Amino acid sequence: MRQIFYLVRQNLKRKPFRTWLMIGGIFLACATLFTAAILSKGIQYTLQTAGERLGADIVAVPADAREEALSALISGSPSTFYMPLSLEEKVRKTRGVQQTCAQVYLRSLDAACCVVQVALVGFDPERDFTINPWVLQKTAEPLQNNQLIVGAKVISAVVGTPAKAIGQRLMFMGKPFTVATILEPTGLGTDYTVFLTMDMAYRMTEESPLYPVPVKRDQISTILVKVDAGTDPALVAQSIEQNIPELKAVTANQLTRSFSRQLQNLVDALFVAGGIFSLLALILAGNLFALSVRQRMRELGLFRAMGAGRSLVFKLIVLEAVCIAGIGGFFGILAGFAAVYFGKDIITDMIGNLYMWPDTGYFLQTALTGMAASLLAGILGGLYPACRISGCEPYEAIRRGE
Amino acid sequence: MIRVETLSKQYKGVDVLNRINWRVEDGAFVIVTGRSGGGKTTLLSIVGGLTRPGEGKVFIDDADIWQLPEPELATLRNRKLGFVFQFPSLIPTLHVLDNVLLPIAFSGRNPNVEDREFAGSLLEMVGVTGKDDYSPSQLSGGQQRRVAIARAMINRPSIMLADEPTGDLDEKTEEEIMRLFQRINGQGTTVIMVTHALGYVKSGLAYTLKNSRLMPYEESEVASGSCAGEGEL
Ligand SMILES: Nc1ncnc2c1ncn2[C@@H]1O[C@H](COP(=O)(O)OP(=O)(O)OP(=O)(O)O)[C@@H](O)[C@H]1O
Ligand SMILES: [Mg+2]
Repeated sequence: MRQIFYLVRQNLKRKPFRTWLMIGGIFLACATLFTAAILSKGIQYTLQTAGERLGADIVAVPADAREEALSALISGSPSTFYMPLSLEEKVRKTRGVQQTCAQVYLRSLDAACCVVQVALVGFDPERDFTINPWVLQKTAEPLQNNQLIVGAKVISAVVGTPAKAIGQRLMFMGKPFTVATILEPTGLGTDYTVFLTMDMAYRMTEESPLYPVPVKRDQISTILVKVDAGTDPALVAQSIEQNIPELKAVTANQLTRSFSRQLQNLVDALFVAGGIFSLLALILAGNLFALSVRQRMRELGLFRAMGAGRSLVFKLIVLEAVCIAGIGGFFGILAGFAAVYFGKDIITDMIGNLYMWPDTGYFLQTALTGMAASLLAGILGGLYPACRISGCEPYEAIRRGE
Repeated sequence: MIRVETLSKQYKGVDVLNRINWRVEDGAFVIVTGRSGGGKTTLLSIVGGLTRPGEGKVFIDDADIWQLPEPELATLRNRKLGFVFQFPSLIPTLHVLDNVLLPIAFSGRNPNVEDREFAGSLLEMVGVTGKDDYSPSQLSGGQQRRVAIARAMINRPSIMLADEPTGDLDEKTEEEIMRLFQRINGQGTTVIMVTHALGYVKSGLAYTLKNSRLMPYEESEVASGSCAGEGEL
């Protein structure tokens, strides 16, 4: 067997360029497919988590400000839109609604603290079910008036890790706050939102020169809805809109879908690229390999004349193909692994909304699958030329190879 | 002993070998001549287990070689037969010593120190020394031919089949190689050699392949002398 490996190695070294071309083709195919698989899984996780972390099944916003409201929810762009508090009561009475809570959005501000413009949102810590479950450090005590909960991307870029932001002092509209805790990323607007108590939110508009007319305490911006277990949020959203024409009700799915489409496009593009690369790699490597075997017919015939059995020649060729595919696959997967693993943050930055990555187990599983697939491709690629050549009589092979 | 019985081979409906009966005793030195395209290589490769005959049988030491299962035929080629081809046949990716050791690798074991020493002595015998790690392309044609002879002998075959081993070599080298085969034969190895070097015809049993038939050399000369033309009765 050692001798066979030696022969294979010597032969692969004979035309290094051709060998590297074959390996390179398989490398590219494996690298892109691996990356696509990991990203796609990450996106799947991200969407799932985003839905969960939104906390609410439905978000109801004023129908007349729906564009503005949706963009605030999805991307956190600071905006102001209001509706009467009384609508919350109506929503709560809709069939299928289990729980509601309201939030109030304040005008945008360029906070000195932060990289991006942030939205200031007041919520009711006593009744909230959308924020508290996703804070980084949970405390039993409800949020105080002088405390904030900040979204994952609000200041983490400034202080490094999100956890370091806790305890930071920040000024908003001339009032000092401390950061009580940080929200886990959602990929939605909450990543760029600063949450404070509703009471404080109203008080700030009353006292800030930015608000000549303060937001009244019976005005709210959004109503977050949790539906009864087993009820379809889409149906509930429909009946909310029917019963209360002033409202536009959006389900969590609809919200996450807005960015899932963008992410999905990316993954699709990667898969298409991976598919094309694979196809090209298979055609390229397959042809080059078949050619290299054909050019060696004479030599392989000589091997058999010297007493190499048909099965040995067969093994020799298949092993060679497997080596090429294996090396290409191994390094391709390694490159994909490295790209995703070390490039995580860059990718997250580039495609802001992707923040969940599959665990190491999935990485390994995908790597093994990819490896197995490329070895299999090698075996299949080697099989045909191997069959053809080992089916020949030795002298026939020698003659034809001349 | 090699025994060939009613051996025929056709290519595209044309007889190359026609009902040949032949016997080669152990330790014999046999020379086969004949016109180019007469079927000498075909005969040798059928006897050497490299080309399947159309009809007839080839026995080597009482084994009907074309009835053997493929692995056994491969083993026979590996252990009992040494084949020297008409054309350069060294493996270009392996250097000289590895080329010589190659048949050992095909016998299913890794060459050991003794094998290496034996390979060295064979290379010495064929007169290619100090070039163990040369690649074939760095050797002259005659040297390549001689390395191929050394390679054919590495498994100590009892039969050497040599197809025009002196083909395109100068007279002096031709003589050296002929002497080499005589030496090999002197050690007890049966040698069947295809050659056009008629000067050596006398040195062994000589046959001519003519009109797809194998006949003793002298006799064929007489036959061609008496029967004018190719006409057959
Ligand atoms: N595989 C093949 N297919 C078709 N024809 C073949 C094949 N092998 C040999 N022949 C034909 O059989 C005839 C004998 O060929 P062979 O090589 O045995 O001749 P030879 O006596 O060795 O000639 P030379 O002295 O030139 O080497 C030739 O006419 C050749 O064209
Ligand atoms: Mg010939």
